[in-house]
Amino acid sequence: MSARALRITLIVLSVIGVALATYLTYIHYANIKPLCGRGGGTCLKVQTSQYSKLAGVPVALMGLIGYIAILGTLLAPEEERWRFATAALTLGGFAFSAYLTYREVFSLEEICEYCVSSAVLLTVMLGLSLWRFLRGGGSTSAVTPGGEPATPVGSPL
Amino acid sequence: MSKLESDEGDLTRKQRREQAREERKAAEQAAAAGDARRKRMTQLGGAVAVVIVAIVVILVATGGGGKKAAPKPGAKNSATQKALAEVTSTIGGVPQKGNVLGSPTAPVTLQYFGDLECPFCREFTTSVLPTVIKKFVRSGKLQIQYRSLETATREPEVFTTQQTAALAAGKQNKMWWFVELFYHLQGEEDSGYVTESYLQGLAAAVPGLSLSQWTTDRSDQTLQAQVETDTQEANNVGFTGTPSFLIGQSGGAMKKLEASEYGNSFSDPSAFASAIEKHVKA
Repeated sequence: MSARALRITLIVLSVIGVALATYLTYIHYANIKPLCGRGGGTCLKVQTSQYSKLAGVPVALMGLIGYIAILGTLLAPEEERWRFATAALTLGGFAFSAYLTYREVFSLEEICEYCVSSAVLLTVMLGLSLWRFLRGGGSTSAVTPGGEPATPVGSPL
Repeated sequence: MSKLESDEGDLTRKQRREQAREERKAAEQAAAAGDARRKRMTQLGGAVAVVIVAIVVILVATGGGGKKAAPKPGAKNSATQKALAEVTSTIGGVPQKGNVLGSPTAPVTLQYFGDLECPFCREFTTSVLPTVIKKFVRSGKLQIQYRSLETATREPEVFTTQQTAALAAGKQNKMWWFVELFYHLQGEEDSGYVTESYLQGLAAAVPGLSLSQWTTDRSDQTLQAQVETDTQEANNVGFTGTPSFLIGQSGGAMKKLEASEYGNSFSDPSAFASAIEKHVKA
C-alpha cells in the first residue's frame, strides 16, 4: 500500500469516526430526559450510565475531540512528527475505547453497538497508523519493521 | 605490459572501488534505517507507557473493576437513622391504607407511577413530595396512591420483587414507610444493590412492621398481580417514563397530570403544588 493510499484510508476512517462520535454525542445530550425512560435500547442505557462521563465530560464528546485531533494530524504535512502524532493519538483512542468496552461488558453488562463500532474503527486505525509510522518515509518499497504489518481486525463498514 | 592490459587493469580497479563505495553506502543506509527504527520504537514505547498510566488512573478514579458497594440499610445504621428521621417528618402521623397515603375520604386522588430504583422518582419523592404531603395530604384534601411502572430497574424479576416487597408492607398499612425509605436510601443505578438482604434491611427499618408477617405477605400472588395491573394501566395511558402521574376526583375518572402543568421539573415543590392546587380547587 502506498503512503498516499494509507493516508487516504486513515483520513476516510477518521471521518467515519467523527460522524460516529458526533452521533453518540448527540444521543448523549438528546436522550438524557428528566425522567426514567422505558426501553430505548442498550445504547441509551450505556449512554446514560455513570461511565458515560469522565470528570463531568461525556466520553462521546471526548471521542469526537479525539477523532478530530487524529484527522488534524492526518491533514498535516507528511512528516515524521505528524505520523507519530497520528500513531500516538490512535493508540490513546484505542486504549480508552478498550477501557470503555471493559466497562460495558463487566460493569454495565450491556453492549452499545455504536460504541463497539468505534472500538473496531480505532483498532483498524491503530494497526494502520502504527504501520505508517514504523515504515517511515512513505515509499511503497519501504521496509516494514517488525515483520508483517498489523492486520486490521474486522471492519466497521 | 601493453597499453591495453594497463587500461583493463584500471577498469577493474575502478569497478572494485565503485562496488566498495556502493557497499559502504548500503551499509550506511542500513545503519541509518536501523537508527530511525530504534528511534521510532523508543517514541512508541514512550507513548504506550503514557497511555497505560492514563488508563490505570482512569480505572482507579472510576472505581476499579467492580460495581460500587451496595448500601446496607438497617435499623441501627446511621444513614438509615437519618433517612428515617426525614421520612418520619414527612409522613409521620399521616394515615395509610395499602398503597394509599392520606385520608381515604380525601376528595382528590393523585396516582404516582414510580420505579423504586428510578433516580428521578427519588428526586421527586425527597424534594417535592414533602411539600405536597404537608400542604394537601395532611389537610385531608388529597390522597396519593403509589403504583408501579418499570423503568430504571433493569431486571423484571428484581422489579417485581422490590415493588411486591413494598406492597407487602402495605398489607400492614406501612407501604409508604417502605417506599420513602427505599428512595431515601436508593443506591447507585444499575449497581445491582437490590438484593434480598437489602430488602430485609429496609423492612427491618420500617417502624412497627412485623417482619414475619411481611415475609409471609410477600408471597401473596395478588400483590404481583397488582404490579402487573399497574404496568398495564400505565401502558394503556401511554406513560413512557417515571415518575408519571394521574389525577382526578377520588373514585372518578383519572386523567394525566401533564409535565407541562408542573413546569417539567421533579425538583420544584412550588410548581408541583400549584398544579395540584388547580385540581383540588376544580
